[in-house]
Amino acid sequence: MATSTAAVGRSIPRLEAHAKVTGRAEYVHNLRVPGMLIAKVFRATVAHGRIRTLDVSAARALPGVFAVYTGEDIRKLIAEPYYGPAFHDQPILAIGKVRYAGEPVAVVLAADAHVAENAAALITAEYDALPPVYDEVGAMTSRAVVHDTLKPAGTFADLKYLKDKRDTNIALDFHLRRGDVTKAFAAADHVFEHTFRTQQVLHLPLEPFACVAEPAGDKTSGSLTLHSSTQSPSFVRAEIARLLGWPDNKVRVKVPYLGGGFGAKVYVKAEALAAACAMLARRPVKYALTMEEQFYMITKHATTLRIKSGVTKDGKITARECEVWWNGGAYADIGPRVTQKSGFTAAGPYDIDNVHIDSYALYTNLPPAGALRGSGIPRLVWAYESHTDMIARELKIDPLAIRRKNLLREGRPQATGTPMRDAALDLVLERLAARMAWEKGFDRGSGAIKRGRGLAIGFKASISPTTSMAIVNISADGSCALYSSTVDMGQGSDTAMAQMVSEVTGIALEKITVVHPDTDVTPYDMATLGSRSTYHMGHAVKNAAEDARDKLLALARDVGLSAETTPIPDIFRKKYGMLAGNIVGVGSFIPPYTPPDANGQTENATPFWMIGATGAEVEVDTETGEFKVTRLVNLVDVGKSINPSIVETQISGATVMQLGFTLTEQMNFDAGQVTNASLADYKIPGIRDIPLMENEAVDANQRSGPFGAKGVGESGTFGVSPAIANAIDDAVGVRLTSLPLTAEAVFRGLCKKAGKPLKDH
Amino acid sequence: MTPFELAEPRSLREAASLLVAGGEPARAIAGGTALMLMMKAGVFQPKRLVSLRGVEARYSEISATPDGSLHIGALATLTALAHAEAVKKAAPVITQTLKTLSNVRVRNVATVGGALAHGDPHMDLPPVLTALDARVNTVSPGGGRTLAVGELYTGYYETALADDELIAEVIVPPLASAAAQGGWRAVYKKITTRAADDWPTLGIAVALCREANQVKDARLVVSAATNTPVRLLAAENTLRGAVLDAATLARCGDAAMAEVELAGDAHGSSAYKRELLRVHVQRALREIMV
Repeated sequence: MATSTAAVGRSIPRLEAHAKVTGRAEYVHNLRVPGMLIAKVFRATVAHGRIRTLDVSAARALPGVFAVYTGEDIRKLIAEPYYGPAFHDQPILAIGKVRYAGEPVAVVLAADAHVAENAAALITAEYDALPPVYDEVGAMTSRAVVHDTLKPAGTFADLKYLKDKRDTNIALDFHLRRGDVTKAFAAADHVFEHTFRTQQVLHLPLEPFACVAEPAGDKTSGSLTLHSSTQSPSFVRAEIARLLGWPDNKVRVKVPYLGGGFGAKVYVKAEALAAACAMLARRPVKYALTMEEQFYMITKHATTLRIKSGVTKDGKITARECEVWWNGGAYADIGPRVTQKSGFTAAGPYDIDNVHIDSYALYTNLPPAGALRGSGIPRLVWAYESHTDMIARELKIDPLAIRRKNLLREGRPQATGTPMRDAALDLVLERLAARMAWEKGFDRGSGAIKRGRGLAIGFKASISPTTSMAIVNISADGSCALYSSTVDMGQGSDTAMAQMVSEVTGIALEKITVVHPDTDVTPYDMATLGSRSTYHMGHAVKNAAEDARDKLLALARDVGLSAETTPIPDIFRKKYGMLAGNIVGVGSFIPPYTPPDANGQTENATPFWMIGATGAEVEVDTETGEFKVTRLVNLVDVGKSINPSIVETQISGATVMQLGFTLTEQMNFDAGQVTNASLADYKIPGIRDIPLMENEAVDANQRSGPFGAKGVGESGTFGVSPAIANAIDDAVGVRLTSLPLTAEAVFRGLCKKAGKPLKDH
Repeated sequence: MTPFELAEPRSLREAASLLVAGGEPARAIAGGTALMLMMKAGVFQPKRLVSLRGVEARYSEISATPDGSLHIGALATLTALAHAEAVKKAAPVITQTLKTLSNVRVRNVATVGGALAHGDPHMDLPPVLTALDARVNTVSPGGGRTLAVGELYTGYYETALADDELIAEVIVPPLASAAAQGGWRAVYKKITTRAADDWPTLGIAVALCREANQVKDARLVVSAATNTPVRLLAAENTLRGAVLDAATLARCGDAAMAEVELAGDAHGSSAYKRELLRVHVQRALREIMV
């Protein structure tokens, strides 16, 4: 074996970079297979209604149309065609009623996409309107109920109590109790209470959802291959197999590169409809959404967050009460997990003895909401870090000082009772303060332009407990393949995992290939989400590489060679008489975990903590409210970086994404119908919206992580929104409590402050 | 998108005649940047498109005449317009406007004529060319005519052009022949309130002719929040004969704000847009004064 190449910790260029920039990387969106039909969907135009009539005759009669299917046709194939990771609540096509405007009601198949599209436009439906519910707080008590009964999937033990519950929109209520907030509020010098709002937004990967389903054989002896742009091939296989009543091995899911995922492409999305159509038609079917259709697939919850704190006169927080309402839309997707998993950090990264959290997942008649980069965390940080500055301002304490005073230190118990370990909150905050030169003077602007700065820090627990498996296969010639179901959707996981294999085996990076997810070939992985891959799959890959290395050493010993000095081909040649055979190393990983009790308390809530902080500088035009973010400083704790340059792009990418959710992005609705479902009207940040950015991963170590590393995909999102709002307040004394932060909201705040509120005519 | 017939005439007059032949809806297509979006969305389903790409090359030319006026062929791309030295010299406001007009991919194929004929009130060139008092020459099967850009727009996505009438060229009259003795200067403010690359919340074009310290004449145009580009006549009147001091600017801003109805939308409320107009009209005038 060769000597170690010290691959880990180096900024190796991404393995796929050349293929991507030369247009040679494979994407499902570009895939065509022989005999393929194109699926185009007819969508509901009302937010909540019973389907009175559905007329597909004109569509069926259009020349070139292969078939038109409705929910009733799907039922002939699958008696209970409902899917979802937390609840089996989402029908493949609407059955009986529709629950949001944009919900798929019927599907047309044709060889020509234009024919399918034109035919879909010929379908008509009439609805008996049902009262809709749109607001998450209103949904708590609304008489309009989105689902008659709740149908938890059974996958998650803590959802079982909701089974068959009727007349409620609450898809999960999470509660955390620590200490006694009532007593602590009574004893506090000051009590502050604020309410915050966030808007519904969406992921918008530049490659929209796409799946090609290829059937073989018939329903009893057949199989199905899905080429899908998914972050969770293992889950898709199991869920489609469940729907079809098949064993898992009859469904094969293959995933090439993804043109972005961001949490949109987790669990089942385009696959259920593509699979059902392919099975009914007995032909390959491609279901690929347009950019505009993405607005009806999955989104990020709008939220209302109420937060109340008891504080001593010198700024020590003694009690905190949080209520969070998550607007989950018509189908639960993974929303209940967002509600629970992020719910327990709602009180922030502060050492508070008395904490009371209620977090509610709610059904409404809007497009479904799931997980999006950071899961619920950026919305919680938005609330608690705005709240922190509002308290500091009232008490005339410096924003940095109040955070220093209250920050959770290493070893101290977080609100769940889990002690903080390897969570560099203090280092991240101190590095941010240093880079911002917080304790030095600051130019406050002149004339109509006022300058301000703000900071914010947040944290996130990893998803737990989840499993990853990996196989490392060393060929006789000394080359090597890694089999892993981690999906490289742009985050650079192929490169990072190959670096780990190289580090352990000493095999040079250029001799290592990463086999992309194929459930017939690559072993199980829970999914690529929640910044879990570097840690979980990283461990599995490291274990598999160590297993392969140890087997190779044993093989060398067997044949009387020194494994340290003999080239790999010579070991195989001696054993098998020629270049033949291979070494297969396997590895798996699941972290330890203790489920929380009824009060949300546990010794071990998470395998690791992600930390992210942002400092912002802004310039506000006091005549118009227009403002410009002039500088963003982003600090994260990712443990040790496997690939520093990819870590940097993950931080900046996450920050820019959250910048859009902070300043420009908002789904607008009229009677439940999205009114800006296009990139012309829904504005993501462009290059000219991106301020000067500085990104830094602090010098930290995740002792339980592979090579000291942990996840990085989301941490850059945490502090962005409140840091900017805090900076605006610092500049002009206007406090915004709703996202997005708009120039008009600042202007209205300025007018109000001047005693001349802006009048609408 | 449904299949359609594509005609590729060799002359502009032939193109105009093909627009009404057969009685089916037909549209001219040049860069196609707006039309293709409408077709993909199903908003527009043509039976026939008449491509203007093969017509006489002279309709893509940009030149200045000795008197200082600019002649811009309707089929000149926005990129050609952005890079034309003659434009930079004669009407720098146009060059400046193009820097934030859409993006480079669109500018490379979109044409000046298309940008004018489309009739979308959010576009940048109509208010600018109105402020510059530009006019268009048109071609139709039986002849053609000349009309001011300011007369081109009759409503939301509606123009004064007949079904078989095509814009052939744009003529911008001489501006600042001798700025020292007065002459016209112009600026355009594209106000966006969400992302930088967005349709404008307001487009504000201001052209000013001064003699010594005094305003001889002014043309102020607002767009994007109105159905068509709108001349701010009352605001212009506050300027004529006045000296541009703070009081004049304030009067002008107030007059602009008072005289026009601005529609509220996702970019901002009507009340807020009025405030933006009041402030940015004054800032545009200040920019000209520098």
